[in-house]
Amino acid sequence: MSRRLLVACAAAALILGPLAWFWQASLLPGTQSAMAMGYPDYGGGPGGMADHRMLHGSDPEQASSVPDLVADPDRPADVSVTLTARWGQLTLPSGRTVKGYSLNGTTPGPVIHATEGQLIQVRLVNESVPDGVTLHWHGVDVPNAADGVAGVTQDAVGIGESYTYRFVAEQVGTFWYHSHQISHQQVRRGLLGALVIQPRKSGTTASGDVDTVALVHQYTGRRTVNGYEDDVRVAVQPARRARVRVINTENGELAAWVTGAPFRVLALDGSDLTGPTPVRDTAVLVTAGGRADLEVTMPADGSPVRVQLGGGPDVVLESTSYAAPATSRPSAVLDLLRYGSPAPLGFDPDAPDRRFRYDIGRRPGFLNGKPGMWWSINGHLFPDVPMFVVAEGDVVRMRISNHSGDAHPMHLHGHHAVVLARNGLPASGSPWWVDSLNVRNGETYDVAFLADNPGIWMDHCHNLPHATAGLVAHLMYQGVRTPFELGDTADNEPE
Amino acid sequence: MRTVYRVLAYAVAIEVVVQAMAVVWAMAGLGKWIDDGGVADKALFESEDNPFPEVAGFMIHGVNGMMIIPLIALVLLVVSFFARVPGGVKWAGLVLLLVVVQATLGLAGHAVPGIGGLHGLNALLLFATALHTARRSSLGTAPAAATAPRAAELSGQA
Repeated sequence: MSRRLLVACAAAALILGPLAWFWQASLLPGTQSAMAMGYPDYGGGPGGMADHRMLHGSDPEQASSVPDLVADPDRPADVSVTLTARWGQLTLPSGRTVKGYSLNGTTPGPVIHATEGQLIQVRLVNESVPDGVTLHWHGVDVPNAADGVAGVTQDAVGIGESYTYRFVAEQVGTFWYHSHQISHQQVRRGLLGALVIQPRKSGTTASGDVDTVALVHQYTGRRTVNGYEDDVRVAVQPARRARVRVINTENGELAAWVTGAPFRVLALDGSDLTGPTPVRDTAVLVTAGGRADLEVTMPADGSPVRVQLGGGPDVVLESTSYAAPATSRPSAVLDLLRYGSPAPLGFDPDAPDRRFRYDIGRRPGFLNGKPGMWWSINGHLFPDVPMFVVAEGDVVRMRISNHSGDAHPMHLHGHHAVVLARNGLPASGSPWWVDSLNVRNGETYDVAFLADNPGIWMDHCHNLPHATAGLVAHLMYQGVRTPFELGDTADNEPE
Repeated sequence: MRTVYRVLAYAVAIEVVVQAMAVVWAMAGLGKWIDDGGVADKALFESEDNPFPEVAGFMIHGVNGMMIIPLIALVLLVVSFFARVPGGVKWAGLVLLLVVVQATLGLAGHAVPGIGGLHGLNALLLFATALHTARRSSLGTAPAAATAPRAAELSGQA
């Protein structure tokens, strides 16, 4: 072999060798437990070898298993629903036929209504969804076994199988449910629906007031509201109030604004705001996965009001002509950090037991063998992501920082977090409780929550294609183990 | 090996053309869709759906630019070790460097649009460099060697 050839081979090996090693190291195993995905991050709180044993479930007397984390099994259900999931040709409310997923024959699935304090029981039956299906109750802090994450809290429900979700409606507000098995595809193609929980006493509602859901979803490139491609008309008499529950089921932010009357934002992400004041010519930006309840008081002269949702279709409120003019999106945006009036949080975020960082970046590497620029969490690529370890009762503070070049709607399962500050600016309005928070490129949010719901909870970007690209982490309670695994015989694939 | 080197260098140049065409096609499609009443917002762009067919141009531009072109440039560099083109490694290295710069500018341009302008400029630099790399790949081959003694003959006569 000539010396030149040897040098060439050496140079080639120097480049290709490390690349091949990184490629190999990035390949994901067929089956993986969430308990061993990445590295534990104790957030400055207690942790270490003893807890490491508990984390991996080798201390069975101390550890509780996810399937045991359920609502009272002896309590009878107050609201009982069966949702049958199907895949195939179906007709949207707009009349268009698409190939997609339906629940009880429709997409969006039926709106589930309940009253505060009731026990909701939903039996999910998979009639024809080939890849398996689950239901996740987005925004509801359910017991962990009802969280619906395939491979973490349950196995995906195969064809002919069923799974029953039970949880008490402790939170009052607007929520939605969707599949968390191959979610990026199943949510896109229609496996979703709304969940509305009303308060026990409807003290402030007068007769003639109207309450409507505005679930925004795109099917094959066409934007719909509640499945309709035309404006949704809701009859509301003059001087009466309408509550429009905007649900953003998409992967990116949606602007909502009202033309023809001032409006108030009553609730965000299923949590009421304190002291919301009327605003006009202002847009509310609804995070992907998030909800905003808008209240419109109809003009006394009977003129129509248009609740505009992104590029439409819109919700038009009136009772005679429904000829409500549209305006382009106002440039003014409602600053949720300063809207409403302050109120006690119920816990002290300045005395946290854990402090976590969730730094979102982007860097080149391999993800399951594919080369590219991938999202990173604290500098690590999936699956080497942090497992945020907490103990029940902990006050947890998290700093979410984004320097990845794109916005990320961050969603934490099982808990609500209060926004303390954005880019160092402290919150000064109503406590802003979120389960879905849009973190823009260059932004930093400080949030805090109480670890009051034991289990293993996903904490991920709800731009579902981003989640499939690895922007997923999870919260792990000490002493909780899960028998379920990603992959496995049920082919669990939550993203 | 020399032919492989040349083909890969031309491939990079052709890919730059593909990239330019794809992204302008997508932008034109977006403009027409808006003219026809469409409204674009973040939710639309993150949906992975096709509200209009030209939106595929953005996806082609992204996948091509972040995965395929860097791969071609990397293979070009490795091939240059074996191709025995005078200065071939240096020029292949330059192509790879410009590809890396291009991808970096493209991603950074999302946050700072002015950098996107530089992405357009660097595209032309990369195109020219890739073309030059391909065309100079015939250096050091037999026809060139044949002209050298002839040139010497002529100069000998002068």
